[in-house]
Amino acid sequence: MNSTVVSYLSQAPGYGFLTSKLSEVLGFDATGIVNFLIFFIVTLVMVNIMAAIGGLGTYAERKISADLQMRQGPNRVGPFGILQFLADGVKMILKEDIIPRQADKFMFHLAPFLCLVGVFMTLAVLPFSSGLALTNLNIGVFYLLGVSSLVGVGIFLGGYSSNSKWSMLGGMRGASQIVSYEVPVTLTILSVVLMAGSLSFDVITEAQGGFPHEWFILHNPFTFIGFFVLFIGALAETNRAPFDLPEAESELVSGYHTEYSGMRFGFFALAEYIEVFVVCGVCAALFLGGYKVPFNLGTGDFLVKAFPAIEPMLAKQVGNFLQLGAFVTKTLALYYVVIWIRWTLPRLRVDHLMVLCWKYLTPIALFNLVGCAVWLYAFEGKSIWYLIFKSGAAAAGAHH
Amino acid sequence: MFLNIMFLLAAGATIGGSFLTATSKNLMHACIYLLLTLFGVSGLYATLGADFLAATQLVVYAGGVVILMLFAIMLTGGVREFVNKFGIDKVASMGTVKTYSIAGFMVVIMSFVIMKILAPIFKSYAPGELPGFSTTVEKIGTLLITDHVLAFEISSILLLGALVGAAVISRPGRTR
Repeated sequence: MNSTVVSYLSQAPGYGFLTSKLSEVLGFDATGIVNFLIFFIVTLVMVNIMAAIGGLGTYAERKISADLQMRQGPNRVGPFGILQFLADGVKMILKEDIIPRQADKFMFHLAPFLCLVGVFMTLAVLPFSSGLALTNLNIGVFYLLGVSSLVGVGIFLGGYSSNSKWSMLGGMRGASQIVSYEVPVTLTILSVVLMAGSLSFDVITEAQGGFPHEWFILHNPFTFIGFFVLFIGALAETNRAPFDLPEAESELVSGYHTEYSGMRFGFFALAEYIEVFVVCGVCAALFLGGYKVPFNLGTGDFLVKAFPAIEPMLAKQVGNFLQLGAFVTKTLALYYVVIWIRWTLPRLRVDHLMVLCWKYLTPIALFNLVGCAVWLYAFEGKSIWYLIFKSGAAAAGAHH
Repeated sequence: MFLNIMFLLAAGATIGGSFLTATSKNLMHACIYLLLTLFGVSGLYATLGADFLAATQLVVYAGGVVILMLFAIMLTGGVREFVNKFGIDKVASMGTVKTYSIAGFMVVIMSFVIMKILAPIFKSYAPGELPGFSTTVEKIGTLLITDHVLAFEISSILLLGALVGAAVISRPGRTR
């Protein structure tokens, strides 16, 4: 498989041409420079697209909430108000940047960037398609858990440095919530890692199939429960309702970003919306088959078979676009559910939050982990559909 | 080339971060610089081919330990101005004659040990080749439950003890 986006694109004929031309011009082997340029450009595009997705997330949030409450939502800027997020962005940039006099300036400046950096670092391993994953680390899941914890530090620092009691309470709640919910989330991810036998997103996705019955969520009863544990934990880790205690607007004004204004507040909001996209993508990649397309359309082999004259790279590109579509569709479906939940459920109380984490989700996650291990041992990793089919065939008198 | 640049960046982050951690007057800032140091160490691991260790460093330290440190500093009110009423930096007394003599003794022993370790490096220095990059997850996992299973189990007992201790301490007192 492709270990990075560069090793995928290096199969294209243009890559060899470019490298040899540049080597001729520069007088030395230009492979490194070309690889660096590809990485640079792809990363730049990825970061900008994700920032746009984060911005569109705010639009989606307002539009869906309006839909759920039978209102219109933003409908003035652009068709259906879709450019509202650009208007908001301009407003944020033009606003005065206010820093409280008693605030700790260094940490006040640092906190939004820690949040944003932590989220953008996770994009490096998110598998958009078999070709378009910036890098396919063989510790991908673990890396993602590690760098996403920077967001917790950012939220805590934002709350602490503002020198305001609401911010302080919000920051404390945010940090404790993120640290606590990392336990059930990690245990649930561990059960998937157990099934696939690898920490790499690529291997985990390839272990599943294109159809729902080949996904890990429907593999056995334990993973079915595990998906919901992971989803609830992900909601709590991204501070989304019903776990939005860090920014509980009815009690804490706005929580950890009460004192922030202008683009610094915008960075917090952007980080939150992109993080929701990332965790939805992780849920999709781990449990919902990720970028897999039914009938193996994603590899592009069908095009080669149907039109033998076609360039193999072009067929692969088409397959990759199908994979990208599958991944983004699953992720955005989960994104819709996240917003839907936010505008449906009331907020939890702090002690209920901790009870849910430590008394329910963690034991369930542990039970799932053991259950998955026993399932793997007892049925040799076969899915429940395989077992049902086999027993049905045996009952019908088939020999095997 | 690229790896060398990354190594130098990581080493710079480690050294600069640890220097700032030691010299920073504000405990909270020191904690942030410590985070930078830990990231630098993680980068060092990554450039030296220990990918799993690098990620573990991030998960354990950046995710858990630094946040707990920040919590502890905040809840104990550790941020104070270390300046006395004359505007001069306050220097806490660092110890007594006993602690200084023990520390001096330890410095002598440690320097002997370090010299013993460093001596062959200075005598015949030949830059070694790093082995080709390969995943370390399987190897670490296999070693942990075969050769080092005793250490693994003992560390888990240590963690269990810490957990039980925390539960006992934080438990509300029973009224008799």
